[in-house]
Amino acid sequence: MSRFFATGSDSESEESSSADEITPKAPGTTFTKQSLLLSDDEEDTKRVVRSAKDKRFEELTNLIKTIRNAMKIRDMSKCLEEFEQLCRAFLKSKTIVDKEGVPPFYIRILADLEDYLNQLWEDKEGKKKMNKNNAKALSTLRQKIRKYNRDYETEIASYKENPMASADEEEEKDEVESGSSSDSDDEPADAKSFLKKKSATEAPPPNASKFLKGAADEESSSSDGDNEDWDSDTSESDSGSEDETGRSTSMAVNFLKKTSSEGDRHTSEKKKEERKKRHKRKERIEEEAEEEAQEEGEGEWEKVKGGVPLVKEKLKMFAKGTEINTTVVVKKLNEILQARGKKGTDRAAQIELLHALANISNENNLGEGILVKIKFNIIASLYDYNPNLAAFMKADMWKKCLDCIDELLDILFNNDKIFIGENIAEDSENLASDSQEYRVRGCILTLVERMDEEFTKIMQNTDPHSQEYVDNLKDEGRVCGIIDRLMAYLEMETKGSTEEVCRVYLRRIMHTYYKFDYKAHRRALGLQGETKSEQDAEESEGEDSAFIMDRLCKYIYAKDRTDRIRTCAILCHIYHHALHSRWYQARDLMLMSHLQDNIQHADPPVQILYNRTMVQLGICAFRQGMIKDAHNALLDIQSSGRAKELLGQGLLMRNMQERNAEQEKIEKRRQVPFHMHINLELLECVYLVSAMLLEIPYMAAHEFDARRRMISKQFHHQLRVGERQPLLGPPESMREHVVAASKAMKMGDWRTCHSFIINEKMNSKVWDLFPETQCVREMLVRKIQEESLRTYLFTYSSVYDSISMETLKEMFELELPTVHSIISKMIINEELMASLDQPTQTVVMHRTEPTSLQNMALQLAEKLGGLVENNERVFDLKQGVYGGYFNRDQKGGYQQKQGGYNRDQRGSYQQKQGGYNRDGQRGGYQQKQGGYNRDGGGYQRQGGYNRDGGGYQQRQGGYNRDGNRGGGGGYQGQNRGGYQGGGGYQGGGGYQGGGGGGYRGGYKGGYQNQDRRDY
Amino acid sequence: RDVAKRARMSSAASSATRAGSLNGRPGRSCIPIGPHVVLKMIKHYQEEGQGTEVVQGVLLGLVVEDRLEITNCFPFPQHTEDDADFDEVQYQMEMMRSLRHVNIDHLHVGWYQSTYYGSFVSRALLDSQFSYQHAIEESVVLIYDPIKTAQGSLSLKAYRLTPKLMEICKEKDFSAEGLKKAMIGFEHMFEEVPIVIKNSHLINVLMWELEEKSTVADKHELLNLSSSNHLEKSLQLLMDRVDDMSQDIVKYNTYSRNLSKQQQQKHQYTQRRQQENAQRQTRGEPPLPEEDISKMFKPPQPPPRMDTLLIAGQINNYCQNVKEFTSQNLGKLFLAEALQGHNS
Repeated sequence: MSRFFATGSDSESEESSSADEITPKAPGTTFTKQSLLLSDDEEDTKRVVRSAKDKRFEELTNLIKTIRNAMKIRDMSKCLEEFEQLCRAFLKSKTIVDKEGVPPFYIRILADLEDYLNQLWEDKEGKKKMNKNNAKALSTLRQKIRKYNRDYETEIASYKENPMASADEEEEKDEVESGSSSDSDDEPADAKSFLKKKSATEAPPPNASKFLKGAADEESSSSDGDNEDWDSDTSESDSGSEDETGRSTSMAVNFLKKTSSEGDRHTSEKKKEERKKRHKRKERIEEEAEEEAQEEGEGEWEKVKGGVPLVKEKLKMFAKGTEINTTVVVKKLNEILQARGKKGTDRAAQIELLHALANISNENNLGEGILVKIKFNIIASLYDYNPNLAAFMKADMWKKCLDCIDELLDILFNNDKIFIGENIAEDSENLASDSQEYRVRGCILTLVERMDEEFTKIMQNTDPHSQEYVDNLKDEGRVCGIIDRLMAYLEMETKGSTEEVCRVYLRRIMHTYYKFDYKAHRRALGLQGETKSEQDAEESEGEDSAFIMDRLCKYIYAKDRTDRIRTCAILCHIYHHALHSRWYQARDLMLMSHLQDNIQHADPPVQILYNRTMVQLGICAFRQGMIKDAHNALLDIQSSGRAKELLGQGLLMRNMQERNAEQEKIEKRRQVPFHMHINLELLECVYLVSAMLLEIPYMAAHEFDARRRMISKQFHHQLRVGERQPLLGPPESMREHVVAASKAMKMGDWRTCHSFIINEKMNSKVWDLFPETQCVREMLVRKIQEESLRTYLFTYSSVYDSISMETLKEMFELELPTVHSIISKMIINEELMASLDQPTQTVVMHRTEPTSLQNMALQLAEKLGGLVENNERVFDLKQGVYGGYFNRDQKGGYQQKQGGYNRDQRGSYQQKQGGYNRDGQRGGYQQKQGGYNRDGGGYQRQGGYNRDGGGYQQRQGGYNRDGNRGGGGGYQGQNRGGYQGGGGYQGGGGYQGGGGGGYRGGYKGGYQNQDRRDY
Repeated sequence: RDVAKRARMSSAASSATRAGSLNGRPGRSCIPIGPHVVLKMIKHYQEEGQGTEVVQGVLLGLVVEDRLEITNCFPFPQHTEDDADFDEVQYQMEMMRSLRHVNIDHLHVGWYQSTYYGSFVSRALLDSQFSYQHAIEESVVLIYDPIKTAQGSLSLKAYRLTPKLMEICKEKDFSAEGLKKAMIGFEHMFEEVPIVIKNSHLINVLMWELEEKSTVADKHELLNLSSSNHLEKSLQLLMDRVDDMSQDIVKYNTYSRNLSKQQQQKHQYTQRRQQENAQRQTRGEPPLPEEDISKMFKPPQPPPRMDTLLIAGQINNYCQNVKEFTSQNLGKLFLAEALQGHNS
């Protein structure tokens, strides 16, 4: 049918020449400039070629067309503009030009333009008439073209001598150069030259197409296409002449020809022509025009033939009858791919093309190798569809992508002869031969990873409260499935390197770690699976996520060499442990990993993961009743007040100075999808409640202590906010509940406290979010009772002479042993000055605790001491002025004196020593700890050593810290030992405190690192 | 009723005050105060003063021979944020004019102020008393302590600035040297003027009658033993002052250290200069021109000492209070002990 086709494929030439002689031409005529797109197959051929060089030439011809138009209306500025573009475009196609030689149409336009300009230049009158812009442009253009043409002098000269001949020559030359067999074109060339005489300037499109043809049709040998060429050429010239009315010599001929062949269609064609023209003007993007053209071409086809869809599809790609073999398909594929990433490439169309190609290769049973390769490229171009990194895939694209990957995996699974890898060089690929194994370049892992990222992106960009989100989330199953399959694939021998396996494992982990395994949970509780046989249960429910996590993580720990994957795996593992209430495993893993030390060097996503893990760890500790650990773990996240940001669950509103749009975009991309969020209210509630349980007894114990420090600033802040309220209604929000509960606890009223912490409102807001709601609630009640008891004793011990434990038991609804143990602990820790009277089961207060007045007096004495010291310094100075310089000895003497004074003070009230310790040995944190272990640091240190059995370096921080305290602590311990008498007993206490302390210190050390961290 | 009760108490206490003050220091004769001045002050505080807030007012009276008599008073109205343009002076003038119209003594003789646990020695008091005393030589400030009064003994004291302090204030020289030259210490800042509440005979008769009628419990509020709260508060305030004092001392310390360091430098500089000059002389060169040393070494700004002085005065005041209070309480405790021993 088409000229290309005819010349290009010998096999079908007969049919096409005889049958479709006219029909395809008809639509062809409509496409004025893209006359190459005459019919389907022609267009296809052309398209194939275009990706190599036709595209360039198309561009050039387009520009030339515009220039000619501009010349006609004497629009110089437009001319100039277009000419510059032309030059640029020409430069771009330099490589092709180098190969193919300078296209004649280019020379032609150069020559014409120069002539034209010279002519204009001479025309003084006309010049005067021109407006300023045009005149200016004219002169610039003239200079430019002169300069430019110098490079092409010979060509232009030859052209000017004999425009047509030169065109022909050039054409032929090109054909020779392009390596196409020239014999085929002897006749057509003649024909063409004929035509060209008629439409000399109109040559460019046909020329271009010739080039293309030349490149494409390597095996063209038949001369059957004469008519073909004729026809198409005429049509081309026709179209050209329609454009260029100036040179319409051939018009009549064309029309004649056309009418003779297709008289009845004439009018409709014209219409189409017009439409086409309009279209062309509108859209320069050749691709799309092509697409249209193709459609229209099809339309034509249908009209004429009532075409068969299947055939049509096939025809899109290849000429009918082309032997579709691997090489052809690969070439085609490469051609399509070359357009990839270029400006103006219609990505949707490209995907379509690739799909079509895949179908074709499928139909022709070209083997799996090629199919795999095409699939790879389809997926890649699906990813490419969005030019912007921030934009996310559309739903249909996403579905397509999933399908493709699934299919690809299917193929890979079914065919273990296929060998893929990103390291396989393009030329060492083996796509065809069945005997050997296929070798395909491409990395499925990367594709899947990218898919996963796209999924995250989709989730990030969907409104989490919409049905859409739920729908999208349903795809997670598929994503997981794909990852699973990929995992299985890579796990097979020789399919994936360890590195790749690690990567895919990490993906799997990332999809697992945050999900609570309800099945395993239920199984653990023994609610289900009793009746079924073990095997059945196993099969139907799959393995526990814990087991999977364990297996995957351990593999990564062992095999991974990149630090990042391991870090992520550890964090996820901890998270998973924590989520499933395996507190000790989680904690130990966290301590062993040393992550607290160096997490601030990690990249933000890992840090976010770390923060998430830490929070989850804290919540886990809380569920387990490790209030102090929970508090410590949550402290850093909560105290910053930026929990939302730190967990990557949303951006805080900040003024724009701090963050420009670019940063905001980056930060947005880091956000964790909604379904992975940790409930912030829950988090805060857990934090506040644990702070309450720690802080309230502490506050009660240190009521008169001038130096007491806050355990939790945030909690205090909430209390203050509560106090500031002018009207105190019943609590509404979670915070108000906690504040109200704290107030009740301060009074030792555990029942009220309990009712504030655990009620319907709080249940629905917070507690029901835990998997083991009931356990947590029970734990909480118990903690509240215990801490209330402690608070009560601290606050009201001065009122009692003695108090029966029985009474306390009833008051706080605790068992007697618990009460006993709590009180004993308090006595050991010297928090409560009392002793237990065993026979009567009463607590006898010693009343050695100084009253507030005594406290005050002590403080005053302290302060006066300072005052005296300062005052004497003034005196010192006075002496110094006369007696030389500052006297250090004297000063030292003072301090000694001071020390003595202090010691005296302490002697009388040893138990309050912590408070009045002036030497400030205890740092801020130690002071906090003091609430629990007020006993000497010396013991604590020992305890730390004793307990420290495991290889947790982390703990070292614990006793280093204690070491700091050593000076003060040791001294205190001595003093107390004397006072207390029961040294051994106290030792026990120290041990207890130390055990916790060592660990706690270590923990703290790590956590504190975080403070400096930005993210 | 409350006020009436207070009045009774105050009159009961007044005799003691009179007795004490008459035997007090010589010098200025004691100031008689009309009973309704006292009542008005108490009422004023009762109505407007709360907690640490103080109330103030103007004392009116006249000077008879060399003796000042306070015969009336009126309160300053309380300020609110809204009426910032309220003219106090205008109000006072208006008030005095009105009083004159009803033939009441309208001579401005000072002002009164309530106090919170005896913390009245402050810069504000000093400044305003200075301006009063500057304008009206006789003027005094009456300090009324409502808390002590509530405990059963009316506490009302009149103070004047000592002439020395007046001089210093006039010169506004609060540097350490200035104070040293004036030989002023915290003890010599204020002088207490004895006061006496002078009742008419008719009122005395009424008092006696009321005393007959009043129950025993009312009379023995004095004997209340629970005093730790008061003491605590005093200690707390005392502590705060001590803290302030420490700070001031530290400040002074750094100052004097800086000063001495600078002096050292100055000294070194002059010595070096002298040496150089001596060398030059031996070489026959002209000596270096004398430079203004004071310009090169700017002496550091000496911290004002007045505040320290005031703090010291305040501390002293607190100490007096505590001492008085504790001694009274000790007496009470012994009394109670004896009573208990007697009973058992």
